[in-house]
Parts: sequence; C-alpha cells; structure tokens
Amino acid sequence: MKTIIKYTICLIAVASMASCKKWLDITPQSQVSLDDLYKTPEGFEEALNGVYIRCAQSDIYGDELSCGFLDVMAQDYTTSALNDALGYTQTQRFNYQDANFMKHRDSAWGGLYNAIVNTNLILSNIDAKKNIFKGNEYSLIKGEALALRGFLHFDLFRMFGSSLNSPQPTTGIPYVTKYTNTVTAMNTPAEVMFNILADLNGAKDLLKTSDPILSNTYVIAYPNSDSSTEASNDSLFLQNRRYRLNYFAVCGELARVYLYQNDKTNALANAKEVIDSKKFPWTAQADFLNTDAKTKDPILYKELLFSWYCPWETKHLHDRFLNNTSGLYLSQADAQYLYETNGVGGEDFRYKQWLTINSSGNMELQKYARNAAYLGTDNDQSYNLYPQAIPSLRLSEMYYIAAEASYDANPTSAIDYLNKVRNARGIGASVTANTKSDFTNELLKDARKELLGEGQIFYMYKRLYHNIVGQNGAVTVASDKIFTLPLPVNEIQFGNR
Amino acid sequence: MHPNAHKKMPPGRWPNHSKISRVMKLTAVFLFFACLQVSARVNGQRISLNVNTVPLSKVFKSMQQQTGYDFLYSSETLQQAGNVSLNLKNASLKEALQACLKGKDLSYKIQGNTVIIVKKKTRQPIATVAQATRYTLDETVEKPVVSVTGTVVDSTGAPLASVFVKMKGTQKSTITKDDGTFEFKDIDPAKATLIFSYVGFQTQEIALAGRTQLHVTLHMKTEVLDEMVINTGYQQINKESFTGTALTVSGADLKTVNPQNLLKSLSTFDPSFRLMDNTLQGSNPNAMPNITVRGATALPANTTDAISRNTLTGTSNMPTFILDGYEVDVQKVYDLDINNIKSVTLLKDAAATAVYGSRAANGVVVIVTNPPKEGKLQASYNFENYLTTPDLSVYHVLNASQKLDYEKTAGLYDAAINKGYTQDQLNELYYHKYNLILSGVNTDWISQPVRNSYGQKHSIYLEGGSTAFRYGLAMRYQTQPGVMKGSGRDRLSTDLNLSYNLNNAFLFKNTLSVTRMNSKESPYGNFEDYVNMNPYYPKTDADGNIIQVIDTWVSHASNGTNTVNPVLNPLYNSTLASFNKSNYTQIVDMLAADWHIINSLRLRGTMSISQTTTDNNAFTSPFANAYYYYTSSQANQRGQYNYNNQNETVLDGNLTLNYNKRIGKHFLNAILGSNIRSEKSDYKGFVATGFTNDKFSNIGFANSYASGSTPDGDRTETRLVGAFTSVNYSYDDRYLLDFTYRQDGSSNFGSNNRIAPFNALGIGWNMHKEAFMQHSPFSRLKIRASTGLTGSVSFSPYMSQTMYNYYMSNWYATGAGAIVTNFGNNNLEWQKTRNYDLGMEIGFMGDRLLIMPRYYQKLTKGLITDVTLPPSTGFDSYKANIGDMRNTGWELNIQYAVIRNKDFNLNLTANMVHNTNTIVKISDALKAYNTKVDDAQSDPSNLGAPLLHYKEGQSLNTIYGVRSLGIDPENGKEIFVKQNGNLTYDWSASDIVPIGNSTPKVEGYFGSNIRYKQFNVSFTFYTKFGGQSYNQTVVDRIENADPRYNVDSRALSQRWQKPGDHALYKNIADLSTTQVSSRFIEKDNVLELSSFYLSYDAKKSLTTKLGMSNLRFALTANDLFRVSSIRTERGINYPYAHSFTLAMTANF
Repeated sequence: MKTIIKYTICLIAVASMASCKKWLDITPQSQVSLDDLYKTPEGFEEALNGVYIRCAQSDIYGDELSCGFLDVMAQDYTTSALNDALGYTQTQRFNYQDANFMKHRDSAWGGLYNAIVNTNLILSNIDAKKNIFKGNEYSLIKGEALALRGFLHFDLFRMFGSSLNSPQPTTGIPYVTKYTNTVTAMNTPAEVMFNILADLNGAKDLLKTSDPILSNTYVIAYPNSDSSTEASNDSLFLQNRRYRLNYFAVCGELARVYLYQNDKTNALANAKEVIDSKKFPWTAQADFLNTDAKTKDPILYKELLFSWYCPWETKHLHDRFLNNTSGLYLSQADAQYLYETNGVGGEDFRYKQWLTINSSGNMELQKYARNAAYLGTDNDQSYNLYPQAIPSLRLSEMYYIAAEASYDANPTSAIDYLNKVRNARGIGASVTANTKSDFTNELLKDARKELLGEGQIFYMYKRLYHNIVGQNGAVTVASDKIFTLPLPVNEIQFGNR
Repeated sequence: MHPNAHKKMPPGRWPNHSKISRVMKLTAVFLFFACLQVSARVNGQRISLNVNTVPLSKVFKSMQQQTGYDFLYSSETLQQAGNVSLNLKNASLKEALQACLKGKDLSYKIQGNTVIIVKKKTRQPIATVAQATRYTLDETVEKPVVSVTGTVVDSTGAPLASVFVKMKGTQKSTITKDDGTFEFKDIDPAKATLIFSYVGFQTQEIALAGRTQLHVTLHMKTEVLDEMVINTGYQQINKESFTGTALTVSGADLKTVNPQNLLKSLSTFDPSFRLMDNTLQGSNPNAMPNITVRGATALPANTTDAISRNTLTGTSNMPTFILDGYEVDVQKVYDLDINNIKSVTLLKDAAATAVYGSRAANGVVVIVTNPPKEGKLQASYNFENYLTTPDLSVYHVLNASQKLDYEKTAGLYDAAINKGYTQDQLNELYYHKYNLILSGVNTDWISQPVRNSYGQKHSIYLEGGSTAFRYGLAMRYQTQPGVMKGSGRDRLSTDLNLSYNLNNAFLFKNTLSVTRMNSKESPYGNFEDYVNMNPYYPKTDADGNIIQVIDTWVSHASNGTNTVNPVLNPLYNSTLASFNKSNYTQIVDMLAADWHIINSLRLRGTMSISQTTTDNNAFTSPFANAYYYYTSSQANQRGQYNYNNQNETVLDGNLTLNYNKRIGKHFLNAILGSNIRSEKSDYKGFVATGFTNDKFSNIGFANSYASGSTPDGDRTETRLVGAFTSVNYSYDDRYLLDFTYRQDGSSNFGSNNRIAPFNALGIGWNMHKEAFMQHSPFSRLKIRASTGLTGSVSFSPYMSQTMYNYYMSNWYATGAGAIVTNFGNNNLEWQKTRNYDLGMEIGFMGDRLLIMPRYYQKLTKGLITDVTLPPSTGFDSYKANIGDMRNTGWELNIQYAVIRNKDFNLNLTANMVHNTNTIVKISDALKAYNTKVDDAQSDPSNLGAPLLHYKEGQSLNTIYGVRSLGIDPENGKEIFVKQNGNLTYDWSASDIVPIGNSTPKVEGYFGSNIRYKQFNVSFTFYTKFGGQSYNQTVVDRIENADPRYNVDSRALSQRWQKPGDHALYKNIADLSTTQVSSRFIEKDNVLELSSFYLSYDAKKSLTTKLGMSNLRFALTANDLFRVSSIRTERGINYPYAHSFTLAMTANF
C-alpha cells in the first residue's frame, strides 16, 4: 500500500510537469505579437506610425519614389555612363531589363505592398476594437489607414497600370484588402480606380469629423516659431498633421486621382477645397531667399499638404544630391534649359535658390540640403528651420490641378491659377497660351521646375500620355511600353500573372 | 541500501544467484550509482554493534552498512562458523572483524574496498566476486601431472595478492600470495585453461598450452565497465542488452588522443561525429567547431543571399550536448577541462536518442564528469605544457625576383596591355621594384604574423569524505595562445561537488561550477593579407621602424589625372592599440536529489541553473590602415569601438522514475520522466566611432555612435517541456527490446502544433548466448535493428507567430512605429527525421577481434524552408515545412588486440564511415534560389567560388560549375562544354551543372596502441578518399590572382605561355577572370597523422618514495603531418598548426 502511494506521488509529479501548453506561449520582449499589439489604442497608433515610417524608408518614398528612378525616367537629371554610381544610366533610357532598374522596381513594388499589408492589418482589426478608442481616434486612425491604402495603391497603379489616356488602358494591379498568403487577382483599371476612390472618399468622410487640422486653432508655421500650433496638442499622436495623411492631404490626393481619370469637376472641387481653406500660406520670399543656411527654407515647408517625415535620412538625402558626379546632378546646360533662364526663367527663385554650381561645374539641387556643418551629428534638426521632410503633396500642385481641370471651361481662370504659382516663384510674366496644347506645355514646364526631385513628373507625362521632353529638348515618344512598367519576375512567377 | 553495491557488472553475467550473499543481489541498482565510483583508502569509519547469537552474515551486513565496505564470503562457510555475540562501540573495522572472527575457523583480508572472509589454514578461498563456488568434492578424472607456477600483476606491474585462480571446467582453485605468485598443482598443462579473477579487475582466461610458467596482467575493471554501460543521460543501460547505436569513450582515452580539444578527440573514435573543416579559421583557438553527426538534416536557414561553401554555416545541424544531465552549448563543451571528464557517450540512432525527442535528430553527446570518491583527502595534479607551431607548408609563394618576373610575364609593364601608361612610365615602375630587389629586399611576409606559442594547463583535483558526505573540488587554469601573434584563449574554472547520502535512501548532490574565459584575436589581422604582400617590399624603413606606407605608385587615368597610391603595410596595424577581445563568465549550479523508494525503484530530480555573461570589446585605432583613405571631413569618424554584451540564463529541470528489475530470465530497465527547459537571452550592443588618439582606447573617448547606427538589442526566449518513457527489456540476455516514447512541447512550434510525439523501437539478438553457438568461432555475435522518429527545431523562436517589430531608432513625427515582420504560419511544425539503423557486433577469440558494421538511413521530412510569395502579398516569403532530405551511410569499426601479455600489449583499431546525402524534395523558394545563385555566380565578389545550389536528387555536398575540357594548347583559353554538349570559349551561368561531389567514399581513422612495460605509445591516422574538392587556391591565387599581389608559385611555372604548351592553367598574360569550372575539381584524398601519444608511468617503487600513488608523463602530438592529393591553401584567415602537449599527472 505504501508503495502504491509512493508510485502515485511520482506519477502526479511527472504528469504535472508535462501539462504546460500555456507555458509554451512566449511573448518576446523586443517584438510584439499581432494579438498583443492590437489590445490597446496605443498599439493602433504605433501600427499607423509604423506604416508611415515604412513608407519613408529609402526603397520607396524615402528615396526611389521621390527622387529616384521615377525622376530619372522623367529625365530630371544628367547621367553619365562613365560614372554610374547610382545605377540610373540604363533607367534613363527606359531599359527595363537593366539589373539596376529591376532592383529598384522590385523593391518599390514589394515595399508598397508591404506598407499596404500593414494598413490592411490595421483595418481588419480596428472595427472589432472600436470600443477601446476615446474621442475621435477611431475615425482618425481608420480614416488615415483607408487613405494610405488608397494612396499607396494609386502610386502602384500609376507605375504598373495603364495610363487611362492610353489607346488601350487594359493593365491594372491587384488591389489588396486582406492579410493573407494567398494571391490576390489582378483588377482592371476601372476596378482599381473605383477602389482607390472608395477608400479615399471613405477616409475623407472619417477625417472630416476627426482631424485636428480642420480646427481654426491649428496654425501652420515653422516649428518653434510663435504662430505655429502644429505641435501644441497634448497627444504627440495628434500633432504634426502634415506628416500624416490629414484631411487636406486626402483632398489633394482625391484631386490627383480624379484628374487621373479625367473627372475634372471633382478634381477641381477637391483642389479648390484645399486652396480655399487658406490653411497653407505661400512661402515668404524672405525665407526662401534667406542666405543663412540655418534659417533658409528651400523646401517651401509651409506649402506642404503632406510630406514624409524622415530625419534619419537627412545625411543620405543630402549626400544623394550634393555628391558631385557620384550623386544626382544636372549639367549647367540642362539646368538652364529646364528653367528657361534665357527666357521667362531669368529671375526664377527656384533656379537661383535650388541650383548651385559644384566643383566639377555641374549643378546640384539644394532642396534637401541640410546645414552641412552639422550633418551626421545629433544636433542636425536644431540647425535647420524644420526637420527633414520629403514633399508628397504641395499647394502648388493644387493650383496646377485646378488650372488643368478648369481650362476647358474657363481658360482665363486656368491661366490665372498657373500665374499664381509663377508669381510666387519670381516669374512676373504672365503665361501666354493660345491653344490647349500650348497651355499644357507651359503647365508641364512649370511643374518640372517646381517638382524637381519629388517624383511626380513621370506620372504627369503618363497621365497626359505626353511625349517625355528630355534634357535639351530630346523627346521620347509616349507609349505603353515606356509608361507601363513590367511587373517583377517574382510577381509573375509566383502570382501566376 | 548498499551504497557500494554498485559494481557495474552487467546483470546478465551473474551465473547463479542462489548462493550469492544478499550483498551481491543489488546489482540491478548499480546503474544509478555509476557516478559515485568509490575507492576508499583507509577505514575511517567506526562501527557500533550490539548483538546476541546472530549469524555472521547478519553482522557483516550491518558492518557493511556502517562502513560501506563490500563483504565477500560463501554462505556455506558462514553457516559452518555458527553464530556470534558482540558488543562493539566505535570500533575500527579491523577491531570489529577481529572480534567477530575470534575463535572461528575464519580469517579476513581487506582488498581495496572489499573485505574477503576466508577459511583459515586453507589454500582455497571461499568465494570471489566473479565466481560463486560450490564445493562438492567430486574427484577429477584426469590424473595430475605437473604443477604450474606464475605471477599476477596489475597494469602498472605491481603484484596482485589474493587473486582467485581457477581451472576451467573444474572446481580446482587457488589464490595468489602477497608477492602475486601462485602455484597450481596436479594440472595438465597441455589441456587446462586457467581463469584469473579479482575484485575490481577484469577476469582473464588463459589456456596453458603446455606452459608451466605464466605471467598474467589483470586490468582494472572500471575502464572496461565504462564501456559496458551506455549512459543515455537519463538511463544507464547495459551495453549487452541495448539495441541502440552508441559509443562510450572514457575521459582518459579522449585525453590520450587530443588533450587540447575534446571534440576533435571524440571524432577520432567515431568519424560519423564530424567536425567540419574550417579552411578560413584554421587552428584559431577562438573558432567554434561546426559539427554534424551522420550527415546534415537541415538546410541553411538563409536563402536570401547566395551562399558559398566557406560561409555555409550549419549550426542547425549541431548535435545536442548533455553535460551531467542538462543541455549545454558547444562552447561549454569546447571549454571543458578534459581532465574532469569521466566519459563521453555519443548516441546516434533513434533507439538511443528518441528520449530527447525534438532535440534528437542530429545525435546526442552525453558527457559525465568525475564524481568525488570517498575516503581521506586525495589530491591529483595535472600539468600540461603545450607547444603549437604554425603549419605554413601549404603556402608556396613567389620570392622577390620570381614575383617581379611573374609581373613582367603577366604584362604589367607592357604599354600595349596597360593602356593609359606610356612605356617610360611602366619602365620606371619596373626599375623601381627591380632596385628594391637589388638592394636585397626579399621579405618573408607569411612568417611575420605567426609564432610558436606555448601554453600551459594546471589542474588540481581534491576529493574525499565519508560514505554519507563527499566532496570534490576541481580547479583549472589554462592558457592557449594561438599561432597568430597575440591571439589566444585562456580559461579558468572551478567545480565544487558535494554529495550527501542519507541512510542510502536519499542522495543529494550539488555541483557548482564557475568558468571564466578570456579570448583575444590577433591584432595582426587576416593572415591572407600577409600571403598577398609582395616580397620585394621591405617591412620596415631604413631605421628598422614599422611604417604604414611602404611604397607608393602612381596610376594614370585616361583623362590624364595622376593619382598616388600607397602600399600599406599590414604589420602597421599590429603596432597600434587596436584590440578585439571577448570574455564570458559562466556560473552553473546543479542540484540532484535521488530517492530510493524500494530496491528496484528510484525517483530522481535534477534542477540546474546556468548564467552566462559574455562581453565583446573590439577597438580599431584611428590610425589603422582601414582609415587611411578617410578624407579630412571624415576625421571625426576614424577609429571604432564595437561593444556588445549577452546575458543568457538557462533553467533545466528533470524528474525521472527508474525501475530496474530482474525476474527470472526477464530483465527490465524502464524510465518514466519529464523535463522542462527555459532559455533566455538578452543581447545589447553598439558601435561608436571617432577616436582622436591611439592611446585613448576607452569607449568613453568616442565621438558618437557610428554613422547610421543606433544601439542594438535583442531578447529571445524559448521553452521546452517534455514527458517520456523508455523501456529496455531483455529475455535471458538473448532477446533484446528497446522502446521509447516522448512528447515534446516547444514554444518554437506553431500554435496549432505545440505538442509533438516522438518514438523509437529497437530489437536485438545476442546470438552468441544461444546454446547452438557455444562451439562456433564467434565469441560474440549480436544483431540489432532499430527505427524511430526524432526531431529538430532549427528555426528561430516566434517564426510561427505574426510579429511586429518596432522601429527602435526611427521615430515618426507622431511617435514610435511598429511594423509587421513576417507572415506567421500557425501550422509550422518541427522537422521529423525517420531513422533506420542496422548493426552487428562480431567477436572472435574472446572478443580480441571485434568487428562492428552498421548501416543507417535518416529521412528528414518537413524541412523548414522559405516558401516564396508574390510580393503583392506584402511578403517575399514565409516559413513552411516543405522539403525532404535523406542521409544513408554505413560505419565499420574494427578492434584487434594482437598481443596481450604482461609486458607487451598491441592493439589495432580502425573505424570508417561513408554518408550519402540526398536532397529529396525542396520548395520553390530554394529552386528560385538556384536561379538567383546562377546570377550571383557572375557577380564579381563570387567569381571563381562555386556557390551552393539545391537540386532534387543531388547532395548538399555537390559542387556546381561549368564543365571544362581544359586549356586549349593553341591559345591558352579554357574550353567549356555547354548544356547541349557544344564546345565554347565563353563561360555562361546557364551552363552550370553538377561537376563534383565532396563526399568521400570512405573517411575514417586507424591506429594502434602499444604498451611495453611502463611505456605506452598510441597513434591515430585520419584518412579520407574517393571525394572531390574544388581547388579554390588555383583559382584565387593562380588564375584570378591580381598580379599586383603575391601569388602561388604555380602561377609562374604552370601557366600557359606559348602555343603548344599543354598547361593546366590559362595564359599567364590573360588577366580576364576565371569562372567556376570543372577544371578545378580535384581528387581529395588525405592522410594525416592526427594524433601521436607516448607516455611513461613511473614505477611503483619510485612513486611510493615520492609519496604518490601514481605518476605519469605523457607527450601528445596532434596534426603532425598531412599529405593530400590536392595542393591548396588552408587556413586563409588563420593558419593551421601542429600542436604538442607534454603532460604530467600525479596522484597523492
């Protein structure tokens, strides 16, 4: 009997050690599991911030989609086959079989969809957790996540889908709305546009009631300046709205999207909503022309509706442009041709402030320049007027959109919109355009000057199905071959495209 | 309970139990006390007894309990002696024995730990441990003819008294006298065979074969017994009845082969335990070995980068190491003191390893350290002196004038080839170097960073105590400088063993061990840099100072700009304050409790906690060559300090219930147990830059974090819990069965598959125990087979969950951000390896010749590999169980004791293995990897180095390249064979096919052990043949060699120079890059003397004078010489070395 008791004790001891399934669920310290992250509103905030940080990495908006291969294809820079440090020479010639191009293209495609997966994870979890949010936060986060999904898909479509002005606008992209490891089927261009507009308009509705930027007390100005209230909210998450897809950014993006599908009424309405809000002031000449690097504003900060925040890329972006022939540069002739210095552009502030001659006699773009003396140190931010930002939507583009959208109905008003931008940049002469084609050319020319290094011009050519005007006037004829980028090999092979 | 009844006799060997005293009945329990080997020197125990007319056997039993001594007697004799009455208080053993034998016809003898009771005035002993005798005085039929005399000694030559000598097949016997001599009367020397048996020694049978004079050497049993028992870490199983494949090697034997490297030593006993050749790190004492057992069962985890053979890390194929019951990593084993090891057991097949379940697929190595012995304080001291010398024989570089010749022949000074230079400029360059040579410069660069290094090791072991309480203290100090100047690894360790035995029912044991390791890398940098240096450069300036820039040369660009290029002296780095050191402190405490519930049932619990703190500090001086090219604007980024720290805590607990019983012919050894394990690791690190001064190497002087870097940190945790049962059953020692079942839960498995079952079944047949085999030539014939399912978890934790990572350093304007890192596959499972194993043990001539062939197959299913996703899913890939791999092989082990007598022993051993690895099935991701690799093969960084491919039906050891027909004698170009069989001069990645396989046909060790009187010599050769190897040296240092650096001497002598040359290597003036081709596949046959050992044991007479019980001097030489069919440079970053160890061991 005694023995039996002893046996029993032993068996219990052994068995109890083995029944610990729960004990095997481990929560790591430097990572967090999906279930844990979405337990609190902070988790959703962090997930949303995460999408923006992801987008600001150099494989997508941190580099390539802002001042990388898209700009190279728009013929914005001078390249040399002799010193091809950044590997863009073949890209500029639209050689889509080039290894460097394929690398950039693959990481852009993968990076954008990676960001999309992150928004989908937010969207697929937020409704079940609606009750954990206080105030307007649910609408704000969901609105921004929807806006991001539309925004990111729109850029994918602008790269890999057909131009809607193409003779055969047949190529779409997969519009992904689920977190899954199964393949999402290709959508037609119409389906893609429908989804983009649905997401963006959904976002606009949600943000209309929740975005602090709509408050009259939200005043845009340089950080730390008296009038700025951009960083005055108690919650860090609700500050600095212009680094996130705020209400006006969504309006701006909607204007872009509507114009892309030639819906001029809605494009104009959305562009005007931004312009008429008077939220975004033109940059004062004194700030643009300032000679003190510390207080100069070459990026025209207050005019930005939306930009990517990336102080960690400061040195990288600085070096990308200010690195002699190893960086991105323009030959003097190319720059002068671009800015029409022998014509209307003689006094253009943009040419004078943005382009400087370097030791090898080439011109370097100063848009992203930082105060060189403090580059790479921790003090970097304090020696600039504002943190490093990469423009994504700016006020001038709203004027361009308004101009283009109103030309058919009211050419005078259209020219007026364009003149507003030119005047703000020091071009006094009014636009002379007798035909729509003339007007479009003038618009394109000014957009090229204005948006140099911001990744929008290639899309503009593609949207207009317009021949690409290269340096010194060299022309590349518009065609689907150029405008519709081929899909990555992995996508074709493993997605059965 | 009888704490000393643990003599490790296989239970099956007991011939007849009925007449043996109770003392001997407990042999079944011995298995659990194997670690408590005892040898008392003095009877410190006191005896108290108060009995009235009780049988002597009862008295002895009580005395045995009180003293721990074994008592040997025949119950018959004791019955004749009648009862005794005693009243003893605190009497010594001798007093007690005298008291109870007073007036009886009996006397006693104390031998070691055993009291032998014999009849007075009789020549015949009453009993021995090995043979219970039954006295029936039946007359022998044979007529006695002569008498035989002889001497019995132990292995040191000391005479052995009271050895029981019996004539086989009769009841006639005698015992030896104090001087070890014996006389056997009335015996027929032509026919008789004598059996010699003695407590603690191996029994020996010797056929007289006409001799009347004999010299017999008996060997200590402990050594043999270790090999008779398989320690699986949980169970101790009699080898005779075990059906698994396992190999046990004693610590002493391991030390004989290689006193400096336990793992290397183990591989010579079983080549299927294979240390991967590390041609990059050579004999760097700080390079951890990479080990596979019976082939690789996992694919490299990383499929995103192209993998070359040199960078292939197979840590996922490491066996599991179990030290005294708990799992440790390879570093712990690498840094163990070999003197402290009692035995190492290598478990290979499923029947042996299944008890480890999810950790078992790559084999298990069970290490047992020496437990303390009881008795008065005993000390042993071991001193080892190492000499290590670099082996530079594989380097054949050009001397100064040959080098310049080579440069000229290669066209370096020919303006027609070097466009952009005028012939005058080139001539100037040439004569500049020519002048250096004329001035007598011919620097032997490769000997600069190396040295002969001397290391030493002191080990002290103190032990003692009573039966109830024992202690052992081991201390070790060891330095191991490497052959690269300034490199080395020093270890300091101490182990404290305490054990407490409560009335034989409970046993508590605690082991505390503290290890400190300090290692340094050489400040001289990579050895390769010295191999590359041109011999016409001086290493110092005229005053003998080591200068940074030895020489300059001007390069002329096509646009007319001239640049002055420096030639940097690699020796300069060594003059700076740069360092690269790491150290760790490890504290391990293990507590074990044993409860003897009843005779055959034991409960054992162990708990261990180990804490390891590792620090790595590397400082690169701002003046180092690496910063020479930094511009003035980068001045604040010169110099770098790399710091990281890792804290690991491991908790390991076991609870086991052991059952051990012999009922009639049935023998059962069963275990039921569970274990639990948790590992936590916390890593922190950062890189700082910007140092102004060589002197200020403290991290506090750094200017900032390295550009773009932020502090780095990582915390991981894994947990494992398992329950298992294992049964070892035998019937009549003839029919054998092993069965194991285990369930493992691991935090690494997907949440849908948390619990995994593993199992094994083994059957065996000891044919030599069958009656019909009694007259066969076989002294042993055992057949066994086993199969089982084991697993391995070779992927990182959390891979099965969808995880978010924080952007630690990059906050967004509105706060911290988290991003999803992987697609969590909840269905992720462990890798399953199905094992099949067939083995035989064949012995002849009383097992003097043993042949043990084995055949196995390991089929691994569900290899964890990446499954490629279209990137539109947001991910490139996710982990899934796709892929199968098969390893089949055979092993053969032969041992032959050629000569065995008193002064001269000669043993021969050979073991050999062959393993064929086949990739049976792989995922699309791996197939895609092949394409990527083909592209990468054209990448400049991979030129000429074959990259790893995965192809179904091929092996992990297959070498891929383009087929080549050799060099065209007409023009010195290489002729390639395309996929379609056409010939071409143009290399193309699309023509890459399997061109060789590095798997040897046979790989193994053979050697001999010779003992002559006090001397012992043994040596082991390693050989492999039938495999192929890609001669990277030829590619890198002959054909792709940059003529601006020094090259292999064949570059000058064996390259094609003019039409008609039948050369192995292409045109000397052809500076185009050589790509991977079959031209560089060579036979890889190797013979190397891996170990040579010579020892001398001081004579008893001398040691006694010195107050020692034992004194030994030994010399071991490792990696003494090597011949190979392939001439290639080995030890690229760190050269290989020969090593010599001189050891002295003294026991007091």
